[in-house]
Amino acid sequence: MMRRMVYLLPVLLLLLVWSGAVQAQRVVTDDEVNAIAKTLYCPVCENIPLDACGTAACDDWRYEIRLQLEAGKTEQEIVDDFVRRFGDRVVGTPQDPLLRAVALIVPLVGIVAALGLALYVFTRRTPKVVPAAPAATDKYQSILERDLAG
Amino acid sequence: MLAEVGFATLIMALAAALYAIVASVYGELRHQEGYVLSGRNAALLVTALLTIATGALWLALVQQEYQIKYVWSVSSPAMPDFYRVTALWGSQSGSLLFWSFLMGVFSAGAIVLNWRSHRRLMPYAIAVMMAVIVFFLGIKIFIENPFERWWIMPDLPRDSQVISASIMPAGALTPDALLLAQSAQGLNPLLRHFGMAIHPPMLYLGFVGFLIPFAFAVAALASGDLSTNWIKASRRWALIAWLFLSLGLILGGRWAYDVLGWGGYWGWDPVENAAFLPWLIGTALLHSIMIQEKRGMLKVWNMFLMVGTFSAIIFGTFATRSGLVESVHSFARSGVGFPMFFFWFLMTLISVALILWRRSRGELRDEHAFTSIFSRESLFVLNNFIFVALALVIFWGSFGAPIVSELFLNTDITLGKDYFMQVTPPLFLALYILMGIAPLSAWSATSLVRLGRSLLVPLLLTLASVGLFAVGGMSTPVALVGYGVVLLAGWIAVYETLRGIIARQKSHPETVLHSLAQLYRRNPRRYGGYMIHLGVTIIGIGIIGSTLFQVETQRTLAVGESLALNGYELHFDQFDGQAISEDGRIMDIATMSLWRDGQKLATLRPRRDFFPQTEGMNSMTIAGAHSTLENDFYVLLVGWEALNASSATFKVYINPLVNLIWWGSFILILGTLLAGWPRDILPERVRQSRPVTLPRGTKGALS
Repeated sequence: MMRRMVYLLPVLLLLLVWSGAVQAQRVVTDDEVNAIAKTLYCPVCENIPLDACGTAACDDWRYEIRLQLEAGKTEQEIVDDFVRRFGDRVVGTPQDPLLRAVALIVPLVGIVAALGLALYVFTRRTPKVVPAAPAATDKYQSILERDLAG
Repeated sequence: MLAEVGFATLIMALAAALYAIVASVYGELRHQEGYVLSGRNAALLVTALLTIATGALWLALVQQEYQIKYVWSVSSPAMPDFYRVTALWGSQSGSLLFWSFLMGVFSAGAIVLNWRSHRRLMPYAIAVMMAVIVFFLGIKIFIENPFERWWIMPDLPRDSQVISASIMPAGALTPDALLLAQSAQGLNPLLRHFGMAIHPPMLYLGFVGFLIPFAFAVAALASGDLSTNWIKASRRWALIAWLFLSLGLILGGRWAYDVLGWGGYWGWDPVENAAFLPWLIGTALLHSIMIQEKRGMLKVWNMFLMVGTFSAIIFGTFATRSGLVESVHSFARSGVGFPMFFFWFLMTLISVALILWRRSRGELRDEHAFTSIFSRESLFVLNNFIFVALALVIFWGSFGAPIVSELFLNTDITLGKDYFMQVTPPLFLALYILMGIAPLSAWSATSLVRLGRSLLVPLLLTLASVGLFAVGGMSTPVALVGYGVVLLAGWIAVYETLRGIIARQKSHPETVLHSLAQLYRRNPRRYGGYMIHLGVTIIGIGIIGSTLFQVETQRTLAVGESLALNGYELHFDQFDGQAISEDGRIMDIATMSLWRDGQKLATLRPRRDFFPQTEGMNSMTIAGAHSTLENDFYVLLVGWEALNASSATFKVYINPLVNLIWWGSFILILGTLLAGWPRDILPERVRQSRPVTLPRGTKGALS
């Protein structure tokens, strides 16, 4: 049994090295690069997604994404790396939990407050009967105008 | 000479506008008609002077007077004449002058058309309009003067000898005309597009147009005439402004789609959003003023919406022109930053204070109360809340969160597409639901049963449509729900119009088209409104299709190679590098053929334009596109081998139903024109010669 293991060990090691090499040389397509670049914003231009930015700097950053994908990094790892280097402005919603909460909770609170206000308007305002003065005036006015015209 | 004429008329316009404010208000307060008339005439003079100033700059651009700094910075000898004309709004100072000119034109229009009918409001309205014009004139004269000229100061050190000034400094020399022409910058490449000839003027007309209803609203608050007079005076102006703003936004989307080279039409960019915010609040206003007209309700709310719309316009102008969009700290570095911020703040503060003052005196009390949650006014109020909620979340994403994080958390953040695609879709869907249901409910009160009965047929049509989509292979639940909601609003608009036609046909022996025309003639607001809703439905279908089902790939191809995508085959036929155009741009063009099912559909020529004389952003990616109602096959040339161009990289998009957005927009514009077209445009005697008698049984359809 032990002798069999000794023969098998180099074979297993070779397999491991080969699979690692294959993974390291994995061909990364432009679409894979763009899928990640689309989620990032150009760190130097204002509000331009990295996949659409035409500057030479953005070409380099897209190439970096390609290298990181070839090195086996996941999308989240690549995004985290960009955020670490350039800050939360390179992503569409911040990665930092506090900033993310501030960014997303405030509008929700706003919407809930607006709905609350709407409910208040509908439920708390007591219907009141107001003499239909404008209608009467309009009616009076139309009669008057008809008389004048006639 | 033109520079001197322009600058002098700007100063005269400033003086005339200041005089118009003082004379109008003084005359009204002292009941001295002479001053009021004098103020009115001074306001009309402002428009005439602004026309001369704008004409002077336009002429300078066309005549290539490069000694004027603005002309030098936005044009060049190689530029076609067409772009010399559009260069008027090609940069900050020129576009601010154009803004003021349009404000003058709108103000003159409002004075001439509303002078007799709304005499009591006019002096205050003139004062408000002129106050806004004074601010913009001040910016132009003291900070962003488009008539500054280049001068050489021989006594100064060599690197600071060239200066710009409005008035010739002592000891200055005029620069050599040939040298100026050779070094002229030319228009920003991104603005060299036909859409840019129309998009900015439309947007400015929309922004400026809202000045008139705002002026009438403030005039009502100042004068104490808080009846529906200000609404009657301003409704049509608001509709005209809304129409232009809508056109501006649509054309901006089309320009982005054609020129910016990212396969989309709306990027949730802060500059885009700055124009979208007043549109949202203005749309809410157009709905809610109907409630005040019909029921005498929401007087305070309407005032807030009116002030909010114009405030959003000035804030958007401040944010995009001051550098605030780039950084909260950069607006202080821009010359117009602080003055614009101060003006926006002061204008909003005074308007809000006036509203609160009138409210505290009980002068804005509603004449009726809400009686049913399903009444039309209740549903309109709900629609208003959603419009305002949308405006708030978009404001937060574009400006609020970046400013707060930079000021208080000491970090820069960008809230991009991810954020907007999380927070806005539920609100848009709610808007579509209300857009469908609200017109079916009656004023004052509607029972749920009656509403349900009106909804039955459109709901069945919607379910059938969605069922067809599902049977046809659409399996994305989000898309099915989205299409369902959007189609419901569309079917209601179509069904209600059909009901009107049928009601007319019962009592009139006429063709369907004639019945339809009569509906639009008799009740343009109602049926024009349905057409607008139909347009918005078609836009919604286009947005859902192009957002959820966009297909995209990027591939590098050698000449002669093809790529296959969703049944299409794109063949790279030829590459023409370094072609030089008449205007000096260098073009790299790929020629490609598009095939489907063995048939050639089109020849596409995606290209990259390079402008060697322009500093900064000096290239432009122009897509090659094959457009059908089904989709756009959209190709961008993103890279190529510099030496022999034997291979090039292309980004290819298939954007399903994207063209429905443009067609829906066309219907929306048509509906707005119908809804807002003045009925009394015909002479009185012509109208009286054709008495209008409503046939029996058509009351419901024509009310």
